[in-house]
Amino acid sequence: MNIVTFTKRVPVTQEEELRITGDGAAVDLSKLPFKVNDWDNYAVEEAVRIVEKVGGSVTAVAMGDAESDEVLRRAIAMGAKDGFLVRIARAIQDPFARAALISNFIKNENVPFDVIFTGVQSEDDQFGSVGGILAALLKLPYSSMVIGIDKVESDHMVIRRELEGGLQERVRISLPCILSIQSGINEPRYVSIMGIRKASKVERKVFQGNAYEAGVGAMIDTVKWVYPPRKKGAMMLSGELDEVCKNLVGILKEKGVYQ
Amino acid sequence: MSYALVVAEVRRGVFEERNLDSFGLSSLLGKEIVLVVPDGPYSFNERLADTIVKVKAGEEVFLNPLNLVDIIEQVMNGRGKPDCIVFTHSSSGMESAPYVAGTFGLPVVTDVSAINKDEGVFYKSYYSDKIFGEFKCTGQGPWVLTVRSGSFKDAAAEKADAAKVEYIEGVAASDKRVFLEYVEEEKTEIDITKAEFLLSVGRGVGNKDEIPTYEELAGMLKATLSGSRPVIDKMWLPKPRQVGTSGKTVKPKVYLAMGISGAFQHIAGMKDSDCIIAINKDAGAPIFQYAHFGVIADMHKVRDKLKDMLKS
Ligand SMILES: Cc1cc2nc3c(=O)[nH]c(=O)nc-3n(C[C@H](O)[C@H](O)[C@H](O)COP(=O)(O)OP(=O)(O)OC[C@H]3O[C@@H](n4cnc5c(N)ncnc54)[C@H](O)[C@@H]3O)c2cc1C
Ligand SMILES: Cc1cc2nc3c(=O)[nH]c(=O)nc-3n(C[C@H](O)[C@H](O)[C@H](O)COP(=O)(O)OP(=O)(O)OC[C@H]3O[C@@H](n4cnc5c(N)ncnc54)[C@H](O)[C@@H]3O)c2cc1C
Repeated sequence: MNIVTFTKRVPVTQEEELRITGDGAAVDLSKLPFKVNDWDNYAVEEAVRIVEKVGGSVTAVAMGDAESDEVLRRAIAMGAKDGFLVRIARAIQDPFARAALISNFIKNENVPFDVIFTGVQSEDDQFGSVGGILAALLKLPYSSMVIGIDKVESDHMVIRRELEGGLQERVRISLPCILSIQSGINEPRYVSIMGIRKASKVERKVFQGNAYEAGVGAMIDTVKWVYPPRKKGAMMLSGELDEVCKNLVGILKEKGVYQ
Repeated sequence: MSYALVVAEVRRGVFEERNLDSFGLSSLLGKEIVLVVPDGPYSFNERLADTIVKVKAGEEVFLNPLNLVDIIEQVMNGRGKPDCIVFTHSSSGMESAPYVAGTFGLPVVTDVSAINKDEGVFYKSYYSDKIFGEFKCTGQGPWVLTVRSGSFKDAAAEKADAAKVEYIEGVAASDKRVFLEYVEEEKTEIDITKAEFLLSVGRGVGNKDEIPTYEELAGMLKATLSGSRPVIDKMWLPKPRQVGTSGKTVKPKVYLAMGISGAFQHIAGMKDSDCIIAINKDAGAPIFQYAHFGVIADMHKVRDKLKDMLKS
């Protein structure tokens, strides 16, 4: 089984104040650390597990600047055989254009696959769209929110999709296909610095993204970045920790959940 | 004809409430509304649509993106292209919208939570609601949109006349992706939806070893411990303890969130709590927008201090 799995490098923003610059032209990410997209980490792990069981190989693909090599080394350390970097000069905003470029890349380079994995969404822009558009462009069956793979056969898989409220649906899908992988599907293995160092010795192939731009026009345009509208917001409890905690307990008593 | 094609989300016989947001957005855009829905005993306010197209197929066939493209093609046949095709931002809309966009070569914007009609722009969240992107569609429509639940439901407006009903007699169902069965979550002894007081921890808890210390705190407060998705994904707490769209919807008297950023999938599961208290070390965490009370602090320090106070 050959599995191509997409992996993206994203900024770590959870604890950061994000600043918009140039009157909405850009978001300043220059001081942020970067890491692998959480969802893609689960996708790489799932691909490696399948190949460990049934044989074949995993190819990790990242699209981005030279720095994205970092997530490829990581994927190789986890068990991917190859790492492909599709170099693009600037990030592509429109998920359609992004998927079209990936589709051209896969076709032009004859990348062999039985299954393509993406993550459910990118942590940064949360479009959740690349897998679905790519499937349509490659005319392949598609399923998103995959939270379990119960059976792997040479011509089909039986998978579970996650729906709302804890419900799942079991689906039979023919190969080749594209699946977007939901977080929590597995427990991704630990990757050590040593492992990554060793993975650096495996050659990663670099492709120039502009070779795959035929028909890749953007259909949506970011006008600008803005701060979200503010709601009324919380009443903030400030002061010394002691005082804050006393207030907290006071609120719990007032609400009648603690005596 | 200028119309919005609203693709209904139905699951196990229920017309999901989230569909109201799709109606609301379409109404705000001033479009005539054509709703497409499986033909079945779904109960909803039919007055919200101008036309209802009922598809003679089960919901499992309908909610399959491979089949939905055929259904949409049939709706457009004779009627012409809509201005937009609107889905809920859910397990079904998030799956089908990109596939529909890819099939017909259409622009797609997902997780739309606001619009400015005069300027023809949509807003969607980036970085878990820390930034919004303002989008214009430059390509030819229709635009394919998924709508965040809760964003537009108040704008859903009843029409003066009863909806016209039409039928699609059959669907070319794909054999490449076939629904087999629904799988339900296992029942457990603790039901967080019944708790009056939830102490909920997020990724900010840091690592697995911290979990017992919060269990202890929950015990001292007589609260029930729950968590956000990453905590459940990492198996630090069992799945039935997950709050959010893909977990449980809870409405306790007090929801005390520690180290949770406030992604909409989480908020959707707890926003109707009587009292929400958020503790987070990031003053810009979106959860403070939804909380009644907030504390900017290291959750571990708050935990230690609370434990000290409660012991004495
Ligand atoms: C403030 C800000 C400024 C930005 N500036 C620009 C800009 O100037 N120009 C611009 O074009 N874009 C810009 N971007 C957007 C950036 O391009 C996107 O974050 C990213 O490419 C999004 O991918 P996606 O949403 O399609 O992924 P999703 O569809 O959410 O991702 C699904 C899956 O697709 C795969 N995938 C997606 N992208 C890649 C990738 N690059 N490599 C490997 N796998 C991938 C992953 O498996 C991922 O899990 C900006 C974003 C922000 C927030
Ligand atoms: C289809 C789908 C369904 C989903 N369903 C759900 C769902 O049901 N429930 C759910 O919760 N999520 C769900 N998610 C995930 C959701 O999008 C977010 O990724 C998730 O809610 C983030 O969890 P978090 O807030 O714990 O983590 P993060 O967003 O990583 O936030 C961690 C927070 O902790 C704070 N923090 C860190 N350290 C400390 C400290 N020492 N003290 C205080 N604060 C600290 C940080 O400032 C940050 O705000 C779903 C996603 C998808 C795509």
